[in-house]
Amino acid sequence: MTRYVMVADLRRCVGCQTCTAACKVANATPPWVQWRWVLDVEYGEYPDVWRAFVPVGCQHCANPPCLEVCPSGTTWQRGDGIVAINYDRCIGCSYCAVACPYQARYKVDGAEYAYDGSPMEVERAREDPRRLGVSTKCDFCADRIDQGKSRGLIPGQDPEATPVCVNSCIANTLYFGDLKDPQSAVSRLLRENQSFRMHEELGTEPGFYYLWEKK
Amino acid sequence: MGDIEAKTEKTVPTYCYNCVAGPDLLTVKVTGGVAVSIEPNYAATALDLPCGKPCVKAYGLIQKTYSPHRTLTPMKRTNPRKGVDQDPGFVPISWEEALDTITGKLTDIRACGMIDAQGLPRVAVTFGNGGTPASYMGTFPAFLAALGPVDFSFGSGQGVKCVHSEHLYGEYWHRAFTVSADTPLVNYIVSFGANVEVTGGVSAVARHAAARVRGVKRVHVEPHLSITGACSAQWIPIKPKTDAAFMFAMLHVLLFEHPRERLDVAYLRDRTASPYLIGPHGFYLRDAASRKPLVWDRRTDCAVVFDTPDVEPVLEGAFEVPVALEIGPDNYTWRHHGVGGTTEFTKLIDHLRPYTAQWAEKVCDVPAGTIRQVANQYLDEACVGQTIEIEGETLPLRPVAVTLGKTVNNGWGGYQCCWARTMLAVLVGALETPGGSVGTTVRINRPHENRLKSVKPGPDGFMYNALNPTDPERWVAQPTGRNAHRSLVPLVLNTGWSQSLGPVPLAWLFQRDKPEGWPEPTLPELWFVYRANPAVSFWDSRKLSETMARMPFVVCFAYTHDETNHMADILLPEATDLESLQLIRMGGTKFIEQFYEREGFVLRQPAVRPRGETRDFTWIATEFARRTGLMEAYLTKINRGAGIETPLVGNGYDFSLNPAKAPTVDEIWDAACKAATAGLSGGREVKDLAWFREHGFYTTEFRRLDWYLYPTMVKMGLRFELPYQERIMRSGLELENRLHEQGVHWWDEQLKEYAAFPAWDDLPGRWEKALVHAGKRPEDYPFWLLTTKSMQYTAGGNVGSQLMHEVSENVRGHAGVILNSKVAESMGIGADDLIEVCSQSASTCGRAILVRGIRPDTLLLVGQFDHWATPYAKDLNAPSLNTVSPMLLELVDATGSVADTVRVAIRKVGGKGIFARLRARSGRKPEQQKLGPAGVA
Repeated sequence: MTRYVMVADLRRCVGCQTCTAACKVANATPPWVQWRWVLDVEYGEYPDVWRAFVPVGCQHCANPPCLEVCPSGTTWQRGDGIVAINYDRCIGCSYCAVACPYQARYKVDGAEYAYDGSPMEVERAREDPRRLGVSTKCDFCADRIDQGKSRGLIPGQDPEATPVCVNSCIANTLYFGDLKDPQSAVSRLLRENQSFRMHEELGTEPGFYYLWEKK
Repeated sequence: MGDIEAKTEKTVPTYCYNCVAGPDLLTVKVTGGVAVSIEPNYAATALDLPCGKPCVKAYGLIQKTYSPHRTLTPMKRTNPRKGVDQDPGFVPISWEEALDTITGKLTDIRACGMIDAQGLPRVAVTFGNGGTPASYMGTFPAFLAALGPVDFSFGSGQGVKCVHSEHLYGEYWHRAFTVSADTPLVNYIVSFGANVEVTGGVSAVARHAAARVRGVKRVHVEPHLSITGACSAQWIPIKPKTDAAFMFAMLHVLLFEHPRERLDVAYLRDRTASPYLIGPHGFYLRDAASRKPLVWDRRTDCAVVFDTPDVEPVLEGAFEVPVALEIGPDNYTWRHHGVGGTTEFTKLIDHLRPYTAQWAEKVCDVPAGTIRQVANQYLDEACVGQTIEIEGETLPLRPVAVTLGKTVNNGWGGYQCCWARTMLAVLVGALETPGGSVGTTVRINRPHENRLKSVKPGPDGFMYNALNPTDPERWVAQPTGRNAHRSLVPLVLNTGWSQSLGPVPLAWLFQRDKPEGWPEPTLPELWFVYRANPAVSFWDSRKLSETMARMPFVVCFAYTHDETNHMADILLPEATDLESLQLIRMGGTKFIEQFYEREGFVLRQPAVRPRGETRDFTWIATEFARRTGLMEAYLTKINRGAGIETPLVGNGYDFSLNPAKAPTVDEIWDAACKAATAGLSGGREVKDLAWFREHGFYTTEFRRLDWYLYPTMVKMGLRFELPYQERIMRSGLELENRLHEQGVHWWDEQLKEYAAFPAWDDLPGRWEKALVHAGKRPEDYPFWLLTTKSMQYTAGGNVGSQLMHEVSENVRGHAGVILNSKVAESMGIGADDLIEVCSQSASTCGRAILVRGIRPDTLLLVGQFDHWATPYAKDLNAPSLNTVSPMLLELVDATGSVADTVRVAIRKVGGKGIFARLRARSGRKPEQQKLGPAGVA
């Protein structure tokens, strides 16, 4: 039994958006579609003000509201906990996007390019018509995980089997791994630190944990 | 594209050096000949090299390569009239025509002589981005060296956008062109506007993140809550340009509110000039025979020379010395009999006596209690008396540091801040010791690759520091460059980087406003520009454009059309990051937080074919050399290491190029690869270009002990030249004599900075005076406008990148004017309203971004924008401080730098609707596709 989760150590994050850019490049998402991004939030009153950076994206919930509302069986949950999308089945109704409390879903109806409405060579090379008119989101780089595992690599430990946002993080904020494996880095970090999950009150059981202080 | 290439997939190791914190190592995935993805270089991360991951900028390199806005062929101007309002009429030409035209000009210039009648070089060169062009322009430096004297005076932001005073004073005091906390060991950092999370590169981000997790406390002192402020344990919003007062008060707390033994008395006595005796005229009391400085010896109770064996110098007090000399400016000597001498340390105490925490509270708008809290914690955490063993050597452990940001140590106040910061380290023995403040590179002194080797014993017990001469015989009265660095700034010396570090604003200022008694500066007959856009990145940018329009012949290496190359006569398109070849150094200690336990070399190599007619820079440089008849000189320079960072001949190896034959690009870099590895390994290993193409980088161990200067100082028996600045004071007095002899008095204000101890002199008031001098009322410009850097953009030359624009929109402040929400409310300004920011000279517009984390008297702009020619960027409608900052001689300090701030007023000029229309025109679409309920934070 495997449960892949992401852990973000908020003490480390500097909001640099390297994970955002790395995800966009690796997954060739269209302009302004960000499967991983970092919030820049402020709280308090001058002069006692604080600012924090919070990586967000699909939380890969154990009880995903997006799955529940999907009328076509497009959104499905893998045995390892990853919430995935079968583009071929999606009818583009966006129920999932409305249901998601984490603003994780995107839908792009027509091809969009970075400059002037026509594709660059790289955009031409990476166009994927299957992703037009359908719901898209972070899938924890599931293909990368699967390919890595097929080569005997360990997700969260070997970069070739780990989501690109984790690999790219220059502050070592992001960790990925199997929550069911007590030896994994994510399990150790959760044991040693205080953590929370976003909107836990909704009962979604997110697979995305935020560390903020040592226990 | 051939069939084979269409089917192939490969991963190419290379580097990104788009900012000074590089190189960052990365790999490029290439499919069917197209670069499709960027990832870290996992071979480097496995070696625990933080630079094995690139920062966000590198992920924009694919877009950079394939941007439709690239200049892909050489171009020439067809409109002879130049100006912001003129269409250059660029048309494509062949490389043959472009190179013939340029080298024809160079040949004509060489025939006349490289120096004009005014003694100034006829060829000028401007490089941008803090030295990063050197990591991209291949062997062009070797060509310039072969060409002869060229003028690097026309800067593109140096002295304003860097940490200029730190460069000069840091290198003078402790070989620290850049200064960093010893982050892996430090426990307490007081950061005055040093945004290392933005500008310190991947190493800084990774190390400070790790430090936070292990409990390091950082106090960030800055008028706005920057990213580093956000990542700190405490934010103190200080009034702009009053940081020196805060640090003076910290020094006061350490000296007046704690027992002396809490300080590192042994360090002060043995490693600094604190015990040296100062005479009545302010100069060292010296032994009449040896002319060495005197100290008071506790053992014998008399004055002896500082290096007397077994001497026990007294740190504090005033003493009667029977016979002594004082040597003043121009070698004027006082011979004393029965003279009073006071130790430097006692004079320091007297100097700092007025600067109490209560005094600083009024200056800085920070409670005295807060200043005391910071000073006391700093002292508590300094661990005076503790040691640490590093590589078998026992060293002091002093895990406290004070770091300085750009606007803190540029311009007026830079001397005060740099001195106070260094003294805070000195008082607790934390200068160049583990955990403390360490220098991380040298650029004025040599060799650049190892700052410890730049240390040589000099007079008076200090390391050797040459100043530009100010004596009557050797002072350079006739400037040899248009910013007169040798004539006006003794500290900047005259080595390879000196001219670029001189008083750069003066080169531009004097072109339109020559001061009295100064030679008329000519314009260069040919101006090269590479990876620089001074028409946007320097102050008074519109007026700079007017000067650029008068340049008779301008050659720009052009990635896209931009505001500076708008005035060009020829555009040359070079192969960019993923298309070109170069070997550079990595590791060791190099810039800000780039100090590692490995050193070596890394290759940038073509991952894909160069697009269009773009050419590798080394090919361009070699063609210049061939066509100007300078091939032999060019290759001789390369053989000595120019442009390739390592000589091709060394101990036991010789890979030198035959000066009689033009080499290919590959032949040059193959030789460089072999020489680099042979040199680094002591001849044990020789790796060629093919090896580097496969492996990407080569490193060997770099001793951690070599991060610190302290062991070298101890080994050589040297002292840091602190606290008293006797030599700087003398140099300033001599410079005053020389300038006054020439009838030059317009530098008098700057000459006052050459003080033995820097004093507070109402630094913010200088900006108010500038307004009064311009006929304005300071109260009409109530805000301090500041700027801060952005990791997505800083030094990246990537302002036209859609990807960087997109991701930077997640970080607050880009493309807007940040102001305090309460102040905005009181002025009727709402979020996203369009507001105009007006200085005494110009205005700039942007949307209002309302935050709570900024002082009420401060406005903030992120990055440098306001483009009007650069594709994509010109549609961002982003404001810029550079547009509204007047370039004024009275705001230039003695080192030639200017603080990046200006007093302004604001007014609302439109509601959200106006801005929404502007945003729509720019094609910017934030929030467009994010679906679902709002707000997850």
